[in-house]
Amino acid sequence: MPAPSKAATWSCRLRERRRLTAGTFELRLTRPPGFSYQAGQRIALRTEATERDYTLVSAPADENLAVLVRLIPAGRVTPFLDQAPIGSELLFSGPNGYFCLRPDARPVVMVASGTGIAPFAAMVRAGARPFVLLHGVRTADELYYRAELQPAAKHYVPCLSAKALLPGGAFSGYVTAYLQTRLDPQPCDFYLSGRMEMIRDAMEIIDARFPDARVYTEAFF
Amino acid sequence: MKVYTGTGDRGKTSLFSGERIDKSNPRVEAYGDVDELNALIGAILNVLPEGRTTEAEQLEQVLIDLFHVGACLATTSDGQNAAAFTDLPAEKTTWLEKAIDRMDADLPRLTRFVLPMGHPAASACHLARCVCRRAERRVVRVCLETEAQGGDQPYHGIRGYLNRLSDYLFVMARYCNHITGTVERTWGG
Ligand SMILES: Cc1cc2nc3c(=O)[nH]c(=O)nc-3n(C[C@H](O)[C@H](O)[C@H](O)COP(=O)(O)OP(=O)(O)OC[C@H]3O[C@@H](n4cnc5c(N)ncnc54)[C@H](O)[C@@H]3O)c2cc1C
Repeated sequence: MPAPSKAATWSCRLRERRRLTAGTFELRLTRPPGFSYQAGQRIALRTEATERDYTLVSAPADENLAVLVRLIPAGRVTPFLDQAPIGSELLFSGPNGYFCLRPDARPVVMVASGTGIAPFAAMVRAGARPFVLLHGVRTADELYYRAELQPAAKHYVPCLSAKALLPGGAFSGYVTAYLQTRLDPQPCDFYLSGRMEMIRDAMEIIDARFPDARVYTEAFF
Repeated sequence: MKVYTGTGDRGKTSLFSGERIDKSNPRVEAYGDVDELNALIGAILNVLPEGRTTEAEQLEQVLIDLFHVGACLATTSDGQNAAAFTDLPAEKTTWLEKAIDRMDADLPRLTRFVLPMGHPAASACHLARCVCRRAERRVVRVCLETEAQGGDQPYHGIRGYLNRLSDYLFVMARYCNHITGTVERTWGG
């Protein structure tokens, strides 16, 4: 029986690996001719073993593709991505997903945990604004793309869970605590991306405090 | 990605267009029926008489179309999204009509009500047909509610498609009995 639909497979080359922290890196990939996507969409990178989803952080108009990867040392795919030689060929399918900014007049609130910032980086690079962005991480060095995101946002709120020295303007605690105590109830569009527990807890707060909100989610793990 | 998210444990769910709604909302009922219908279409594929590639390909297309229908029903017009899940084109209904006519040409004329029974594929088609009718009724309800709230009635294409799909499934049930030599029993006969 033929499969109902076949996702296109693309081939690209690894051009560059940029280390962002000890555990995260950005991969720059050549863009296969004819490949197009929308900011917020993801690709499924293949290895011999299996495939995994990675959200593109590059803007749709960029010359190259880029993904932000958190190394899971015991993982099946990220150690390979961490070590693959520059110039090696990578296969992927996509683009997939619908986690894209919808045209709407309502205020946009983006909420990310960790690498969940990836789709928002792409959206901002594609020109999205104004928006409020909450980025939940443990320590300030994990505030990926801060230098780009902060000036573009109406309000950029790093939410740091580790009890360490807080940089100026940072909130001490989880993004959910910020949603619960700091954000005024109003009809807005929420975009939640990253860890599933964050999405679930944020949704509970949104249901209780923002009954007229629209909510779009992208669960990474 | 995990199948469970836990975001629906308190009786709410998210529409594709972002709204958080109660799981008893007519839209959820409607796309739930379409989902049930789609699972039954998949079941028909499993029991379809050997070698019926044309019919199998049609049913696979229906599986895809119904996925699109589900996405449309989960999308309100005030929460439009990039992928534009608004309706099915009218050509989809015409396509079903052609498929119906092709099968009908081989079938004995219909003179009485046929009993919903026979070959396993025929039974599966009848089950799917009943769920299809229910899905259609629930879509009509969504349309009427949208109108009552001051909007235009949506889903012209989907309503036509579901109406024709239940005819298609009825004819497919008869066809499956016919090609397998299964006796078609009628009401009162
Ligand atoms: C829609 C979607 C988009 C995604 N986008 C990205 C992305 O842009 N960047 C990215 O790094 N990952 C992303 N992921 C996660 C990615 O697909 C892999 O699951 C992840 O890279 C681990 O793969 P692995 O084979 O190395 O680990 P596996 O062998 O699959 O082990 C996975 C374990 O690692 C943990 N884990 C998975 N992802 C993360 C993470 N990002 N941070 C911390 N812990 C994690 C989980 O607890 C999980 O149990 C996305 C997932 C989905 C479903």
